[in-house]
Amino acid sequence: MRLALPLLLLVSTNVSAAPPDFAKDVRPILANHCFKCHGPDAAARKAKLRLDTADGAKAALNEVMNRIMSRDDDEVMPPPHVKKPLTEKQIQILNDWIASGAKYEQHWAFIPPTKFKPSAGASPIDAFIRSKLTASGMKPSPPADKATLIRRVSLDLIGLPPTPKEMDDFLKDDSPNAYEKVVDRMLASPHYGERWARKWLDLARYADTNGYEKDRPRTVWPYRDWVIKAINDDMPFDRFTIEQIAGDRLPNATPDQVVATGFHRNTMLNEEGGIDPLEFRYYAVVDRINTTATTWLGLTLGCAQCHTHKFDPIPHNEYFRLLAFLNNTEELEFEVLSRENILKRQGILEQVTALERKVFQSLDQDPAKAKFLAWLKGERDRLQDWKFPRPTKTEAGPTKLKQLDDGSLLALGDPTKEDVYQLTFDDWPVNATAIRLEALTDPSLPTNGPGRAFYEGPKGDFLLSDVRLSVDGVPVPFCDASDNFAGAKSNAKRAFDNNLQSGWAGRGPGQPSHAVFNLAKPTAGKKAKLSLRFERHYSASLGRFRVSVTTAKAQVIAHDLSVDAEEALRVPEQKWTEGQRETIFREYLRLSPDLKAQSEAIEKLRKENPQGPRTLVMSERPKEHPRKTFRHHRGEFLQPAEEVEPGGLSVLHPVPADAKPDRVTFAKWLVSKENPLVARVAVNRAWAAFFGKGIVRTLDDFGYQGDLPTHPELLDWLALEFMENGWSMKKLHKTIVLSETYKQSSKVLPDHLAKDPENKLLTRYPRVRLEAEMIRDSALKASGLLSTRIGGPSVFPPQPPGVQDTAYGGAKWTPSEGEDRYRRGLYTYAKRTAPFAMAATFDGPSGEACTAKREVSNTPLQALALLNDPSMMEAASALGKMIAMEKGTAPEKVDRITRRCLARPATENEVSIFAKFLEGVNGDDAAKWTAVARAIMNLDEFVTKE
Amino acid sequence: MERSRRYFFRDCGVGLGKAALASLLVGSASHANTTLPPKKPHFAGKAKAVIHLFMAGAPSQLDLFDYKPQLAKLEGKPIPPEVIKGQRYAFIRSDAAVLGPRFKFAKHGKSGTVISEVLPHIAKVVDDICLVRSVTTDQFNHAPAQIFLNTGFSQPGRPSFGSWVLYGLGSEAKDLPAFVVMSTGSGISGGSANWSSGFLPTTYTGTRFRNAGDPILNLTNPPGVDEKLQKDTLDLVGELNRKHLADVGDPEIATRIAQYEMAARLQTSAPELMDLKKETKETLDLYGCDPAKPSFARACLIARRLVERGVRYINIYHEGWDAHSDVAGNSKNNCKTTDQASAALVADLKRRGMLDSTLVVWGGEFGRTPMVESNPTLGRSLGRDHHPQSYSMWLAGGGIKPGMSYGQTDDLGFHVVENKVHVHDLQATILHALGLDHERLTYRHAGRDFRLTDVHGTVVKALLA
Repeated sequence: MRLALPLLLLVSTNVSAAPPDFAKDVRPILANHCFKCHGPDAAARKAKLRLDTADGAKAALNEVMNRIMSRDDDEVMPPPHVKKPLTEKQIQILNDWIASGAKYEQHWAFIPPTKFKPSAGASPIDAFIRSKLTASGMKPSPPADKATLIRRVSLDLIGLPPTPKEMDDFLKDDSPNAYEKVVDRMLASPHYGERWARKWLDLARYADTNGYEKDRPRTVWPYRDWVIKAINDDMPFDRFTIEQIAGDRLPNATPDQVVATGFHRNTMLNEEGGIDPLEFRYYAVVDRINTTATTWLGLTLGCAQCHTHKFDPIPHNEYFRLLAFLNNTEELEFEVLSRENILKRQGILEQVTALERKVFQSLDQDPAKAKFLAWLKGERDRLQDWKFPRPTKTEAGPTKLKQLDDGSLLALGDPTKEDVYQLTFDDWPVNATAIRLEALTDPSLPTNGPGRAFYEGPKGDFLLSDVRLSVDGVPVPFCDASDNFAGAKSNAKRAFDNNLQSGWAGRGPGQPSHAVFNLAKPTAGKKAKLSLRFERHYSASLGRFRVSVTTAKAQVIAHDLSVDAEEALRVPEQKWTEGQRETIFREYLRLSPDLKAQSEAIEKLRKENPQGPRTLVMSERPKEHPRKTFRHHRGEFLQPAEEVEPGGLSVLHPVPADAKPDRVTFAKWLVSKENPLVARVAVNRAWAAFFGKGIVRTLDDFGYQGDLPTHPELLDWLALEFMENGWSMKKLHKTIVLSETYKQSSKVLPDHLAKDPENKLLTRYPRVRLEAEMIRDSALKASGLLSTRIGGPSVFPPQPPGVQDTAYGGAKWTPSEGEDRYRRGLYTYAKRTAPFAMAATFDGPSGEACTAKREVSNTPLQALALLNDPSMMEAASALGKMIAMEKGTAPEKVDRITRRCLARPATENEVSIFAKFLEGVNGDDAAKWTAVARAIMNLDEFVTKE
Repeated sequence: MERSRRYFFRDCGVGLGKAALASLLVGSASHANTTLPPKKPHFAGKAKAVIHLFMAGAPSQLDLFDYKPQLAKLEGKPIPPEVIKGQRYAFIRSDAAVLGPRFKFAKHGKSGTVISEVLPHIAKVVDDICLVRSVTTDQFNHAPAQIFLNTGFSQPGRPSFGSWVLYGLGSEAKDLPAFVVMSTGSGISGGSANWSSGFLPTTYTGTRFRNAGDPILNLTNPPGVDEKLQKDTLDLVGELNRKHLADVGDPEIATRIAQYEMAARLQTSAPELMDLKKETKETLDLYGCDPAKPSFARACLIARRLVERGVRYINIYHEGWDAHSDVAGNSKNNCKTTDQASAALVADLKRRGMLDSTLVVWGGEFGRTPMVESNPTLGRSLGRDHHPQSYSMWLAGGGIKPGMSYGQTDDLGFHVVENKVHVHDLQATILHALGLDHERLTYRHAGRDFRLTDVHGTVVKALLA
């Protein structure tokens, strides 16, 4: 039986006095209960009805209301099986909205910010906050006392508590701008950059390891140091963005700008033997676009990877168009050299050249000359005639083989685990009897090649698993092979043994070598096809190689002399160019037993060459071989659909039509002043850093599903102010901390809990637990242990044994010695699969995903860490020892510890409580004061920004 | 996200504030799990706790549970390409030859379940377990597959199984963490993502119990701090925090006080838990457990003790089954370490009347190929590669049908031909056993409602008792 009775009893057909607010009241209901089937996703749309736009909904709204109020399970909306029933109140709102004309409004976050005028008198921030307080019948709290304030602002701006002296100076300073002076000093402090870099690194998902099973170390800390410096320099946020997204593409890019692109190299790299590298590259690019959307747009773009966004107006194909901007990249390492190291290298190069010159000159005189000429003769006698045919066609799957001037081929593009290079020759030498294959190095390859292995195996490794030749369509078998360097398990013969798991691997990464393959019988035709197959459990194809062919009648054997030197030998020494002479001399130096001492001396010098850190950076694919981007059906790697071109989001400002569709354009589009989101998202995050929560509570979601701003006018004012002030983060921070709202007391009154429990109105300054790094940094600072050194490789502070046990391969954690034991938390080595225990206990991120907001938990494990962790104990005991050695009475000492730890004097009551406590502590003075320091470091106040 | 946090504040007690404040006022907050109070399930579930024996590295189902005589007949010949259908493999080539079962198989128990000779102890409890021979997964590499089985998604970042269960049911453990992770093999491929709370509050993260030293991180007082000083310090910290609470009025301080009390209780309850002196010799022998030495057997016995103390979700990782070479030797060794204790756990829970409310799950992240893996370059022979299409797991107790075999693979053990159980189905079924509807157990994050089963999963009703 069908029941279509409207629920008249529940829903009043009268229109309420004020129609419901679309953005605040209506859209959340529609988004949550209706859009999934009647929203922006055309593929998922039912009954051709869309309720997310006025045009789509208009004609059907009466029927919609009938269906919502139906009692028939087959009729009622939302259908019972989706388990999203509407409440009576929600139904009433929808009814009122329809009755009042069903007005739609554009979502607030997609409309550019408006300059609202704050009421006069107070600072604009305070004016906006107070007008809302007044409207709610509440008052702001009185100002916090000065000691509380300086600790608060110090923790916020530099991430460290003030020293007792800084506190005393501030307490004594009665000048009207005393506080502003403190703020300016902190904004100028180099520790400001450390504090705010840590917040940015959460978004950048920074870590010192690759993630996944092997989770091997990586070098990307130069990027971390770049962030610290950029923030200390107050680099404008638009510039800060452009350099991280596309620094390498800027005209005359500086090394710093290249290092900045490490932002998107912080994605994980799976080095498990069995993986498909292209699949995990796809996941990395997906992560890059999702992270970009969270960081700069505050949008949950990830939903559109698999289908058109169910709630926000972001179609499936636009997701991949946006992704295409970031997809045409090559992931490289970039060696960062300090000035000092550049000079050192020059010095070594000069020494090597001088040594070589000495050797070369010695060859002009007997007896060295005679020996050299004898060697030359010997080498010339064994010379064979080699031709260097050039392929007329190359096919290599996703790889493109680029022909270089010397006839060698350079592989461009993505290597796979099964690369096959097919070379076609139209002028194959008649009567060819052997093929020679040179594996050559090139600076564009991992550790200079010659292979393309970049994960799991040695970087620059290759394995030629199979080689085949056919001439005029007829296969020509090989009868023998030799190489100038055979490994223990690999040699040239294994490249045609019909076992694809064995092959030729050359001399190893960083070194050229060659192999000769002898043909079973001389070839007759001119059209030849050479096929080279590279298979391994990681991608290991050749990155640069050259093919030569001989017609020699006798069997040719590979000989340990470089092909370039061999070619130079064909020229009489009187006619050698300078380059040819050097090539020959160098080979002679390398091979002559008489010159062993000299060649070893040079080798030793070369090994002293200082190596800079090779940090992970982005680069663009070569013009000859751009990477195509496809829409992926359901977001699946294995289901690429049609090709897409780079493009912006239709719901936002357009990408300039005449701009080149590359990363620079994309970065500029993100930080365009027309972008309604970027400044709001950035200032909102800053606000949350100071006030615990954002003006938009959902820092990572400004879409329909996100929370509405508690103070929209304030958010817009801050966003516009930020852009007008040249995107200066320091100015923004200063404006915020100078407000009365920031300076008010954090005391929670019963009235607050009753009327504003979540502190949405900011009736008081919020008490917030310190972030993981700040807690340990505070303890180290209070105890005088903290190192103030900035930057450099990550360090290994002590942590309880066994934390790393569960990591694959049982990673070792050998605690650093000396100063590195006491560096700030942001320098702690971040291992993704086994994060530093204390950081993880206090909600530090693992670096596996972009984190806009850390959780703030309060757990027993935190209590155990503060009580018993070795690094906390080390700090308490250092402070205890220091105080024990100082002069002074017990009350004075309690006061000193309190000042160092809590940045305030001890109260009389506390002094007497501690006196009683001290009576019960056994041991010497150091033990007694250690016990006091340890207790104070366990107080709620110690881990809380008051 | 924010909406959900509020929900926690109000209903789940993450912020706790008022509740703890109230109990502080009347005395102390002891004997209540201050962080995760128990919650009602969606419906009455039989299981109250889960012990997941995670055989990491992936055991060979073809040598333990899924007997395929046809493989012996075809040994040395390649598998027909139409069977393989373009499946990507980790190490081997798709034309690798078939490798026959390495062990003898026989029927056991009243149920007549056929299993391998290297599982003599499991053979004795086959009538209490439910063997599923038709599990299938999407992933064929260790880290993604382990994370997939634990979180429903192949990359790190989502809440793990235990976290979801705590989120759904809260904790009944008074003095212990409710989600405990132990590891008795080598390092775990998926790392801590396997027990991470993902985007759920970090309170739901699994707590690692270590084999040696402190079972819980920082459990023991640091050197120089004796029992009395620790007690005096805790009393002092409590007193000053209480005073501060009175001055400042922030309920979060009440939570901190309660957490310190819980920490103090953990310092007694965890050593008591690890102290196996009160276990009889008969029980220790049942498990094959040397109480002084960390082992898989000891972890199983501790797991039973954890369940007795109200712990909700226990993971025991035994990593080491990745038999790319010598699958026979690998299986023998790992069975020697795990077979007796796994069976003892089922038997011990049963005789104590705990099996009905405790769900034991045994298995790896994927299966192993019917084809042989050998590779001279890597020095491998007579191994098996990763196989995602089909593998075997077993479940026992907690509302799962005992003495049953479910699902079938083809004659080559390659594909599932009957009653496929996808990892998402398994997750849905285990949640169901706990009284949780996998479609309703959602958490709002980044603009959408996430589930353990993503947008998939069907409860396998046939497995339910």
